[in-house]
Amino acid sequence: MEALIDELKGKIISALSLEDIKPADIKTDEPIFGTGLGLDSIDSLELVSLLERDYGILIEEMSVAQKAFASVRTLAEFVAKNRKN
Amino acid sequence: MGASLETALSQPRAAVAGCGAISATGAGIGTLADALRDNRSALRAREAFAGKRYQTTVAGWVPEETIAQLAARDPEHADARAFLMADAALREAARNLPTVAAGRRALVLSTTKADILAMERVFHRQPCSRTAHRHILPRLLADDLAAAHQVRGPVQCVSAACISGLLALQQGASLIERGAADVVLVAGADIVSHFVLAGFTSLKSLDPEGCRPFDKSRTGLSLGEGAGAVALVRRDLLPSPVWTIAGWGSSNDANHLTGPSRDGSGLVLAINRALQRAAVNADGIDYLHAHGTGTLYNDNMESLALRAVFGENVPPCSSSKGIFGHTLGAAGVLETILCLLAAQANTLPGTPRLVECDPVAPQSMLLQPQPATRLRCMLKINSGFAGANAALVLRKEQA
Amino acid sequence: MSDIVIKAACWLGPQGFGNDQTGLRDWPTPLGEALRRGELEELRWSELFKSEAQRFARMDWLSRLGLMAVELLDVHFEAREAKDLEQTGVCVETAAGCLTSDAEFLRLPRPTVFSYTLPSTVIGEICIRHRFKGPMLCLISSGNSTRTAMDEAAAWLRDGSAKSCLCVSCEAVSPDAAALLPPDLALENTWQACALLLGRKSGDPRECALGNDTLTETCRHLCRATRRC
Repeated sequence: MEALIDELKGKIISALSLEDIKPADIKTDEPIFGTGLGLDSIDSLELVSLLERDYGILIEEMSVAQKAFASVRTLAEFVAKNRKN
Repeated sequence: MGASLETALSQPRAAVAGCGAISATGAGIGTLADALRDNRSALRAREAFAGKRYQTTVAGWVPEETIAQLAARDPEHADARAFLMADAALREAARNLPTVAAGRRALVLSTTKADILAMERVFHRQPCSRTAHRHILPRLLADDLAAAHQVRGPVQCVSAACISGLLALQQGASLIERGAADVVLVAGADIVSHFVLAGFTSLKSLDPEGCRPFDKSRTGLSLGEGAGAVALVRRDLLPSPVWTIAGWGSSNDANHLTGPSRDGSGLVLAINRALQRAAVNADGIDYLHAHGTGTLYNDNMESLALRAVFGENVPPCSSSKGIFGHTLGAAGVLETILCLLAAQANTLPGTPRLVECDPVAPQSMLLQPQPATRLRCMLKINSGFAGANAALVLRKEQA
Repeated sequence: MSDIVIKAACWLGPQGFGNDQTGLRDWPTPLGEALRRGELEELRWSELFKSEAQRFARMDWLSRLGLMAVELLDVHFEAREAKDLEQTGVCVETAAGCLTSDAEFLRLPRPTVFSYTLPSTVIGEICIRHRFKGPMLCLISSGNSTRTAMDEAAAWLRDGSAKSCLCVSCEAVSPDAAALLPPDLALENTWQACALLLGRKSGDPRECALGNDTLTETCRHLCRATRRC
C-alpha cells in the first residue's frame, strides 16, 4: 500500500501540473481537495481521467470520486480494490 | 453614455434579410419551424459512435441523408463537412438579397472547431481532400465561404466558445453600423465528433438520455451539430417591417474556466449592455431565448442572472437545446433564427424535453408552445467556457 | 478616433522581450537558444516576473503567452477600481489558434487539455487574473497580423462599450500542431505574443497615437523590436 501511495502522489503532481510540489509535501491522510494544494473541479476531473487511463477504473458518478479523494490513503485503497491494470 | 447611444441609434441599422439552417431537424429553416411548432426533440443516439465509453452518443446529429445530399450537390467539397453545412445555410439565407458591390459584402463565420473531422482524419493518416484539410484552420474555412459567396468586403472569423454565434451577429451588426459593409453574411457551424464527445465526456457534462433544460432532475447537456446563417442587410435597403439587431453586449465572468460565476453577475452585465445599447428597458422584452444547456450549473446560474435583471417579471422564456442540442459555434446563430421563426408564427416556443421545472428557474419558463400576445422585441443569450457571456436584442421595426 | 490612444505595448518572441518603455531585450543565454529552438517549456513565469501566476503550469502555451504579454505591459491593473476593470475589454487575435492544444488532445485526451482546445480560453485566463469584465472577442486571423483586433477595440471605445481594451496577439505552434497543417500553408513551428492597451487620451507621457499599422507591426515598432522577431 505504501508503494501505491507514493506512486499516486507522484501521479497527482504530474497529472495536475503541480510544478512546485514534491511528493513529501502531500500529506497521506489529509483531504486532497479543499486545502493547501489549491485544487479545483477541473483537477478532480483530471484525477478521474488518470484513474481510467492508468488503472482501468471507470468512474461514472463524481460522488464516487469525491469519496475516493478524501485522502491519498483512501484513494490508494480505492485503486487497490478497483484496479483493472 | 447618452451621447454615444444617440449616435448609435441614428446609425444605419442591421436588419435580417434571410435565414438558413442545417441541423438535427434536417435541411432548411422549415424543418426547424416544424420542430418548434411540434415542440419536438431531434436528439438521438448514434450507433457509429457507440463502444467508445463516451457518456452518451445522444446528440443533435444532422441526418446522414442531409449530408449525403449536400455532398452530392457539391462534389468538390464532398468531404468538407463544415463547408457543406455552412455553405448550404448561407445559400438559403442569401436567396433574396439586394444587390450591392462585392466590396460592400462581408462575411463573419462563427465556429469552435471548424472541420474537426478533417483534423481527426489527418491525425489518423486517413484520406482527406486538400479542401477539407484547409478547413482545419477556421480562418481558411471563412475565406473559402467568402469566395463562394461573392464577398470582397471584410471577412472575420470568430471563435469564442459557446458565445461565438452571438458575437458573430454582433460583429455583423457593427460592420453595418460603422459603414464598413451593406450586406453581412453571418454563419455559425460546428460538427459533433469523437474529439468533442471525448472532451465533454472527460468533463462529465453530458446527460446520457439527452438534455433537459431547466428541469428539476437535469444532469447535463447534449451536443449538437449543424450550421445557421443570417443575412444582415443595411436596413434602408429592405422593405418594412424588418427585424433589426437592435442591441448587443458581451462580458467575462472573470471567475473560473469551466464553471460560470456563481451569482450570474457576468451574464447580467452582458444582458444589461445589450438592453442599454438597444435603448430598451427590461419590461420591453417580449420573449427571452435562454442558453439553457441542461447542466446543473449553467441553468442555475442563468436563473439567478435572469432574476437579477428582471426581478419577478422574467419575460416568457424557453430553451431550444432539447431540439438540436448545444451546437457550440452554431448555437447563437441557430437559436437567433429560432427566435425569428417563433415571431413569424406568432407563437412563443416551448422547451422540448423539459418535464418538471426546477423551482429556481423563472416562473415564466414555457414547457409548451403558446400563442404570443406581442412579439416585437426579443432577447437571446448565451454563455460559454472561460467565463464568456453574450446577449442580443432583436426588435421589429417599421419604416 | 484621435482621442483613442495606445497606453502601453509589449512584445515577446524567440528574439527577445520587452515593452514600449524598456525596448526589446535579449533573452539571457542559454534560455534564448532554447526558446529559438521552440522549447517553450524552458520559459517560466518567474523568468520575467516577480509576481505569482496561479496554475500557470497547467495552462497551454497560448494562454501562458497571452498572460505573459498582458503582464509585460507593466500596467498595474490591480491598482485600478473594480468598476474600471468591469469596463476593460479584451480582444484577442490569433492565426493558429489552439492547434497546439488540439494536437495534444488528439494524442492524449484529458479534461485539462480539452479546456484549452478553444482559442478564447486565453481571454478567460486574462480576465480571471485581472478581473476584466468588459466585452470580449476572439478572432482567428489570416497568417499575417491584421488590424482587426485594434479596429474592434477602437469601436468599443468609441461607442462606450469599454473604457479600456487589451488587444492581444498570440501564436504557439508546436511541431505536432505544425504536422496537422496543410502542406502549402505558411504557419511556422513558432511562438510569439504581443499586446497593446488602448484607452482614451489622458495626457500621460507614456501614451502615443494609434496609427494605421497592424497589431504586431505597431507593437514591434513601439518596442523598438527592429530586428525580424
